[in-house]
Amino acid sequence: MDPSDQTIVRFSGATVRYGRLTALRDITLEIPCGSSTAILGRNGAGKSTLLRAVLGWQPLTSGEIRIGDAHPQHARPRLAYVPQRHAIDWDFPITVRGVVEQGRYPSLGLFQRMGRADRDQVEGALEELGVSDIAHRQIRMLSGGQQQRAFLARALAQGGDIFLLDEPFAGLDLFAAEELTHILRNWEAQGRTVLAAVHDPAVARRCFTRGVLLDTGLVAAGPIAGVLSPANVDRAYRQEHCVHDGRPRPPAAGDAQG
Amino acid sequence: MSLHDLLIAPFSYEFMRRGLLSAMLLGVSGGLLGCVLVLRRLALMGDALSHSLLPGVAAAWLLFGTSTVALFFGGLIAGLLTALGSALLSRLTRIKEDAAFGSLFIVFFGAGVALTSKLPTRLNLADFLFGNVLGVSAGDLGLAVAVSGLTAAVFIVFYRSILLETFDPVFHRATGGRGGLVHMGFLTLTVLNLVAAMQTMGIVLALGLFLLPAVSAYLWCDRFISMLLLSIGLALLGSVTGILLSFHAGLASGAAIVLCLGLVFVISALFSPRYGAVGSLWRGGAR
Repeated sequence: MDPSDQTIVRFSGATVRYGRLTALRDITLEIPCGSSTAILGRNGAGKSTLLRAVLGWQPLTSGEIRIGDAHPQHARPRLAYVPQRHAIDWDFPITVRGVVEQGRYPSLGLFQRMGRADRDQVEGALEELGVSDIAHRQIRMLSGGQQQRAFLARALAQGGDIFLLDEPFAGLDLFAAEELTHILRNWEAQGRTVLAAVHDPAVARRCFTRGVLLDTGLVAAGPIAGVLSPANVDRAYRQEHCVHDGRPRPPAAGDAQG
Repeated sequence: MSLHDLLIAPFSYEFMRRGLLSAMLLGVSGGLLGCVLVLRRLALMGDALSHSLLPGVAAAWLLFGTSTVALFFGGLIAGLLTALGSALLSRLTRIKEDAAFGSLFIVFFGAGVALTSKLPTRLNLADFLFGNVLGVSAGDLGLAVAVSGLTAAVFIVFYRSILLETFDPVFHRATGGRGGLVHMGFLTLTVLNLVAAMQTMGIVLALGLFLLPAVSAYLWCDRFISMLLLSIGLALLGSVTGILLSFHAGLASGAAIVLCLGLVFVISALFSPRYGAVGSLWRGGAR
């Protein structure tokens, strides 16, 4: 088989700078098709920037990202996105079904109404995530796990094959986190590609098979166990790096930031 | 007083018919815009924006007299300057957007009050601030028709973009939506509507026609579309009863409309079964 069939997202020297600040430095990396990958690193290591770059909304300063053979902006129909929980106003007047229907909006034209196929896709997503019974409920009236499933269903309804999740475990209770782990494992078994920003290495170990460890630059990528070796974790989470040039900086007094 | 005297007779006057029509038209667009203001937590910003129109309107009055077109563009320019100015200030300095807005609008409002003190008669200031249904000219009514029609058309055509941008701007952006464009378009529509509502409602009270129906509807609805429709309905109800109240009780029309809508709001906030205060206390305290 042609190797390009197996790699779904390819980074070549991808770099993002905001003014003098380097958010992502020279990332070269391949994400295999059908894998579930945790993007790891401390705060400010570039996890969110990497996700936004894949979505084609964060322009690269240099380098390139290809999704299949396409530029991210042309691959948008393949991408489905789940934002962080705290970005959502849970009091918004909207039901579970209303949220899932939003997954179809990007593929509808300005004057086009939802057709039979769109409605089927919404029903299918509700069904698969087990939220059909509560589809009429306002989103505040759900448990944390049900809320997360409603937004996963919206991503599913988008009809893409690459799922980008921003901190999906943040703010979930233990039971809901278990539920999400189960769902993500199933998705991987079904050959869906999942790319998720994850803050906690322990969570990443439990529910992802691959990892990408960032420290603005790439620390390690590959099977999760190897990526989260003690040496790598130490390098990415404890050692202080100067974000301007990426060179290690000797710890200074009063430099408590981790 | 017969029912006819109460409800029908007032509208035998041309100015009453114009005032009513203008208030109802702007109730439709204000009810729509108000929902987005409430859900995006821009209510106070809308209030600031409405105050900032005064210097533009006053300057236009001083320079061009009572021309509807001049007043409209005066208000529009002042409002857009405030919106753009505070956006720039919050980008380029360490000031956050709320403080930038707060500071700019109060300066604008002060300048407006200073300018109106230079106007030929003192009476005009009260009309600017609190509305005078007697002053709704044919030009004002035409403006209300145009602005209300434009707002309703934008909401119908861009309904899905507006919903996505209001509910989940990050998702909207991630799926290729033009969030900045929707936001700027929304601010522009708000200014247009505030200016158009100035004659009937007054600068200080115009926002009441936008906000009160929306926040009342918010207390009853679990769907965006039903909130929009209920908000329009309540705005229409408030306009009609308010105009009648202003006629019979001799009140400023803006104040009368706001009082009627305020009553609806208080009833909703107290007695909405799911989201009202009484129900919440009944179920055992704060949410």
